[in-house]
Amino acid sequence: MSQRQLAMVMDLNKCIGCQTCTVACKTQWTNRNGREYMYWNNVETYPGSGYPKKWMELGGGFDTAGDLQLGVVPNIASDYGVPWDYNFEGLAKGEQLKPDVTPTWGPNWDEDEGAGNFPNDNYFFYIPRICNHCSNPGCLSACPRDAIFKRDQDGVVLVDLDRCQGYRYCIAGCPYKKIYFNPKISKSEKCILCFPRIEKGLPPACAQQCVGRIRFVGFLDDEDGQVYKLVTKYKVALPLRSDYGTVPNVYYVPPTEAPPKFDAHGKIIEGSTRVPMEELEKLFGKEVHAAAKTLKDEMKKRKETGESELMDLLIAYKHDDMFRLDSGYYADYAKSHSLEPIKIVDERYINGKFTKEMKFFAPKGGHA
Amino acid sequence: MKKIVILALTCSLFGLSSAMAESIVASKVSDDLSKININSKVWQGAKEQSFIAYPQTTIEMIDADVIKLNAHNKAKKILVKALSDGQNIAFLLKWKDSSNNVQEGYSATAYGDGFAVQLPIKLDSLPYIGMGSEGRPVIVHLQKATGKTYEPNGNKDVYHQVNASNQNAFEKDLQTYKGDVTALGNGDYQRAFISEGFRSMTQIKDNSEDAMMQMSYSKGMWSGVIVRKLKSANLDLSKGTFPVAFAFWDGDKKNRDGAKVLSSWLGVSVQGSNVKLSYLDEMNGGDAKNGEQVMLDNCSSCHQYKEIKNAPNFMAPNLSNIGGYSNASYLVESITHPNAVVVPGYNVNAHPSYPWYSVDDKGVRTSMMPPFDSLDKKSLTDLVAYLKTLKAEVE
Repeated sequence: MSQRQLAMVMDLNKCIGCQTCTVACKTQWTNRNGREYMYWNNVETYPGSGYPKKWMELGGGFDTAGDLQLGVVPNIASDYGVPWDYNFEGLAKGEQLKPDVTPTWGPNWDEDEGAGNFPNDNYFFYIPRICNHCSNPGCLSACPRDAIFKRDQDGVVLVDLDRCQGYRYCIAGCPYKKIYFNPKISKSEKCILCFPRIEKGLPPACAQQCVGRIRFVGFLDDEDGQVYKLVTKYKVALPLRSDYGTVPNVYYVPPTEAPPKFDAHGKIIEGSTRVPMEELEKLFGKEVHAAAKTLKDEMKKRKETGESELMDLLIAYKHDDMFRLDSGYYADYAKSHSLEPIKIVDERYINGKFTKEMKFFAPKGGHA
Repeated sequence: MKKIVILALTCSLFGLSSAMAESIVASKVSDDLSKININSKVWQGAKEQSFIAYPQTTIEMIDADVIKLNAHNKAKKILVKALSDGQNIAFLLKWKDSSNNVQEGYSATAYGDGFAVQLPIKLDSLPYIGMGSEGRPVIVHLQKATGKTYEPNGNKDVYHQVNASNQNAFEKDLQTYKGDVTALGNGDYQRAFISEGFRSMTQIKDNSEDAMMQMSYSKGMWSGVIVRKLKSANLDLSKGTFPVAFAFWDGDKKNRDGAKVLSSWLGVSVQGSNVKLSYLDEMNGGDAKNGEQVMLDNCSSCHQYKEIKNAPNFMAPNLSNIGGYSNASYLVESITHPNAVVVPGYNVNAHPSYPWYSVDDKGVRTSMMPPFDSLDKKSLTDLVAYLKTLKAEVE
């Protein structure tokens, strides 16, 4: 256990599956250097296969006795999907646009398919997933090299690339399959909760860029923070698959607000809801019923009285209010513990800051 | 020091034979071994000896595929040649492998074949076979068959980390860029580590434990060679007698880390060396049949071994191949003084119901196993004789 724990809350009622978070993360961290197939942040359709394919069936996590469970390492081509590219250069020579590999699988292959029959009772919703920065990480327990650590100051789970030997047991041990093997450097990599941003008081890129304002970030022990209120005070934000026993620190406000179903004549069935509670129970546990009730009660209260702290929080009037981070805390912590800054995953942006010119931007002979 | 005295006493009490039972003779040559390679003619004059490497089954790896693929592993015969020129020691290893596996390409599930050579830093006591133990450090040289791998931080060369399709380059420039990136990769996955028990293993990056290692595959056999100095920053093997251990990985079976076959500590004697290392001595006699009963009575409630599974899973190390990769002196020591070697390897997070040791405020580990120093001499000898029979058959 870390001294403090940073957590994220995602309100699934507001997620529109636009993948802006995915793109923010990808351009920040994973569009290069062997990480091309990785999505440290992905948004998947539920019900659906998810990313990697059927991750919930790939093992890892702990049983009720606390024993780490066997898992498998997914295959890039068949389970994650090889990122394919197009013959853009050939277009100039009159070639037909075509992918460079024959795609057979990729993230969001089954996007928006969902379940049920259109239009009567079909349904789906989106689940954005990042590393859960668990309090009892399966990846950390599975690593035979002590290469994975959980930071004391905020509970962020990181891979020490100096110690990592690329054994990949962490991938088998993580029930969320949110740690990845980088074949180029032969080491494991994962979401770092944008710790270089967080230490400067900025939210992770995925949260900063979220157009639906679904993501709250803050410390779990900050009683004035939205994260604390949603998780502990109102108990409307629940961890995903807590039955895996890893004590995840990403929480979800379950998508309880779905449109009603239609009957055979296309008429609304009053009081019905498209998202079955048993599916939500699978994901978020039995607590989902109480959470749904609180949400409904507070909505009603808001309608009747015009007041509800919970609804105000979830509406998130001001973007800045969604993030309770403090660069001063990190600075003080580093000073009192004589910490050197951790080497970040790569130094592209630091270097970029001082880059005066990019070689290929300069006009050259032959390229008018 | 106390531990060593105790060990010396125990060993002498239990009559370990005076000769190293399994010993590699390194022929003395006048050629400069630092200049040789896997195909050098100098190997022709070296004596070839065979030893056995056994499947590691002390700890089960948590990859379901690995468990399935390695469930019926047999022990592997390895052929060893050793040479010394007085400055360097060289080993040529050969082992059978039906497939040549190289970890390469854009894959998360490719694993390379490989081998490793382990040498103790101190010669006064035998380190734990699994990458040493506290106070008994080892140097491990590892060679794996891989395609090109890259430094995680690209040696601060950010420019060449960018994916080619994100690069602002086209046609010739793009080809040049791709070529430059390829040139930055290292196709020789060779590492040196220092370790006091698996989990503590740390890569040596300052070249203080330099070695020449090579691997080559031909007709169903791997050959691997290592040449290194007898004396280096951490190691002094110049007296000519020292233990060595070998490990081999089969990429086809998704082998890596603990999923491997390994030898016990084997003695190496450079031609002309008269030094004796009593901890490598094998034991004489002992009634394995009686030892089996001693084992059932004393050990089986915690340890699983072969088909004996009275103990709960994860309670204690599995002893199914303990006789294959353990030396008699280690077995005697571990039975009578379990705290002599408490390896910081077992992950207390992974199976918290059965911690194998406790750790106090000062970081001192105490084994959960009680010392069986009350066993009489015959029972102990018989038990060790039985433990030595616990090993997989040779393929």
